[in-house]
Amino acid sequence: MNRLRQSLINSLFPALLVLVCITVVHFFAEPFQVRVAYVFFMNLTIAIGLQIFMGNTGIVSFGHISFMGIGSYAVAILTIPLAMKRILIPDAPFGLAYVHLSIFPACVVAIAFTVLIATLFGFVLKRLTGNAAEILTLALLVITHVVFIAWIDLFRGPRALYGIPIVSTLYWAGAAAIVAIVIAKAFRDSEGGLQLRASSENLLAARAMGVPVEKLRFRAWILSSGVVAMGGILHATFLGTVGPNSYYFDQTFLIMAMVILGGMRSVSGAIIGTALVAAGSELARTLENGPVIFGEKLPTMFGLTGFFLGAVIVLSMILRRDGIMGDDEFEDVFHRWMRRRKEENSGKPSAVSTSSAS
Amino acid sequence: MEYFLQQVINALSVGSEYALLALGLAIVFSIIGLVNFAHGELITLAGYMMFFAAATFVHNPLFLLPIGVAGAVLGAIVFERVAFRSIRNASANTGILTAFGVSIIMQNAFVIFIATRPKAVQTPEWLSSVMTIGTFSLPVLQVVETLVTAVAIGILLIVLKRTTIGMAMRAAAKDFTAVRLMGIKANMVIQAAFVVSGFLAGLAAVFIISRRGAIDPFMGSVPVLKAFVACVLGGFGSLEGAVLGGFALGIFEVLLQAFLPDDITPFRDAIVFTAICAVLVGFPDGLLGRRVELGDKEA
Repeated sequence: MNRLRQSLINSLFPALLVLVCITVVHFFAEPFQVRVAYVFFMNLTIAIGLQIFMGNTGIVSFGHISFMGIGSYAVAILTIPLAMKRILIPDAPFGLAYVHLSIFPACVVAIAFTVLIATLFGFVLKRLTGNAAEILTLALLVITHVVFIAWIDLFRGPRALYGIPIVSTLYWAGAAAIVAIVIAKAFRDSEGGLQLRASSENLLAARAMGVPVEKLRFRAWILSSGVVAMGGILHATFLGTVGPNSYYFDQTFLIMAMVILGGMRSVSGAIIGTALVAAGSELARTLENGPVIFGEKLPTMFGLTGFFLGAVIVLSMILRRDGIMGDDEFEDVFHRWMRRRKEENSGKPSAVSTSSAS
Repeated sequence: MEYFLQQVINALSVGSEYALLALGLAIVFSIIGLVNFAHGELITLAGYMMFFAAATFVHNPLFLLPIGVAGAVLGAIVFERVAFRSIRNASANTGILTAFGVSIIMQNAFVIFIATRPKAVQTPEWLSSVMTIGTFSLPVLQVVETLVTAVAIGILLIVLKRTTIGMAMRAAAKDFTAVRLMGIKANMVIQAAFVVSGFLAGLAAVFIISRRGAIDPFMGSVPVLKAFVACVLGGFGSLEGAVLGGFALGIFEVLLQAFLPDDITPFRDAIVFTAICAVLVGFPDGLLGRRVELGDKEA
C-alpha cells in the first residue's frame, strides 16, 4: 500500500504537466492547435500503454497498435446510430447491425473486448521468448489489419466507417493520459513490475529467485492492451470515422519512435519522447507540404515524416540506446539534483558519497 | 492433373521465394543475433537498381537480372557498414529496432527521392511465358525460380561446408570468440554473412519483380514479413528451419488460395498467421529449433 501511495505521489508531477498543458491550450489555443493537443494526448496514452509492456518486460512489441484498432472499431460499431448502420454495414454478423449502446457502456465493452483478444493472443505469446515473440507481435498487427480489410460485412473493409458520435474533447483525452500515467507508474513500482524489470535485465537470475516471469509478462501484456484500447477509443470518438490504415505501420512507427527516443524503460521517458516526436513530426509535416520560407517556396517532399521517425529511431539506437531518460523517472532526476545541491551547500562534497550516489 | 501440377509448381515457387529470404535472415541472425528488418529494402533496392539501369544504359532485359542481384548485395554491405556495425555488441532489442528504423528510412527515402507510384520494370519475356512439357504447360518463371532456389541452396551448402569462410560462419554461430581466437577477422565473417544474405535476397527480388512487373517503395515489406514468420516457424536462427519454414509457409498459402471458398480468400494471410501461432503453441521454439536452457554456453 505504501508503495502504491508513493507511485501516486510520483505521478503527480506528470499529471500536473498534463493539466498545465490543457489549461494553456484551453485559454490560448486556436482550434487547430486544440486538435494537435488532442492528438498529442491520444498518442501519449498509447505510448504509455506500449511502455507498460515494452519497458517492463524488455520485449519489443510491434503489435500494440492492433489493440488501438480493435478498441476503435469496437466503439465505432457499438455507437454508430442504427439508421446509419443500416446503410454502412447492413449485414453485420451477430446482430450487431441492431445493437446500439450509449458512449460509456460502449467504451467499457470496447476495452473489455480488446482485453479479451489480448488474453487469447497472450497464451501464445507467453510461451515464446526473445525475437520469436517480437515477430509474433508483428504477426498480430498483420492479422488484425487483414481482418479489418477482409471482413467487409462487419468492418466495411478498406472503406471507412463513419457516423461515430463525436463526443470526446481535449479534457477526456487529458484525463485518459493521466489515467494511463497513473496505471503505468503504479505497475512499474509494484512488486510484480519490479520483478519483471529485473527479469528483463537478467532472466536467469530472476528465474532463480523465483520470479514468475511468464505470469508477469502476461499481466503486463493485458494491462497494456487495455490502456492502448483507451487510446483507440479516443481516436474513434474524436474523428468520428475509423479506417483500417490508421491502425497499421505508420502509427506503429510513430508510437515506437516516441517510446524509444524517451527511453522505453521509464514512464517519464515515454512522456518526453512523445512530446519531442510530436513536435518533430508536426514540423516535418509542415515541411513535407512545401511551405514558403522567406519568400522561397520549398519543394514538397512526401515521406519526410516517416524519414524523420526512422532517423529518430536509428539515431537514438546508435547514440543513446537507453533513450533520453534511461532508467530514470522525473522523481529520480529530481532527487539526484536535490542531493547534489545539498552536498554543495554543506560545502564538503565527499568523494565517497558522490560516487555511491551516482 | 495439369491443374494439380500447376498448383504444385506454384507452391514450390512461392515457398522458394520465402525460403530464400528466410535463409538470408537466418544467416545474419545466427551470427550476430540481428533480426534484420531492413532485409525487405534489399528487394526494393534491387528493383530500383534494375529500373535505373534499364532507363540509362542496359537495353537487354536479361542483363537486368544480375544487376538486381548486385544491387541487393551492395545494399547489404552498405547497411552493415553504416548502420549495423555501430551496434554490433548491443542487445538484441537494439538490433531489431535499429534495423526497423533503417527500414523506415529506406522506404521513405524512396518516397522522397523517387516516387510513391509504381514503376514498371521489364524482365526478359521468356520468363513470363509458358512452356510445354509433354502434355503439360507450366509457367517458366515458377519452374526457373524453384530450380534456381535449389541450386542456390546447394551452392550455399557447399560454401558453408567446404570453404574456410563458410566454416568460420558456421563456427561463429556457435562461438564467435573462439572463431576470432583462431585468427579469423570478425569483420570478414560478418560481412560474408551479409553478402550471402544480400545475394539470396537479390535472387528472390529478381523473381518477385518478374512476377509483379513493377516496383514501388513498399514492395519489400510484405515478402520479408512472411520470411520472418517462416523463420519463427522453422526455429529462429536455424538455417534448415528457415528453408523448411519458408517452403511450409509457401505451400500452405497456395493450398489455401486454391481450396478456400472465394469469400474467405481475402482472409488468407490472417488464417496463415493464426495457424502458425497455433503451431507455435505446440512448438514454442519452432519446428527445428533447439530448446536452449538459460545460461547454456552453446546458446
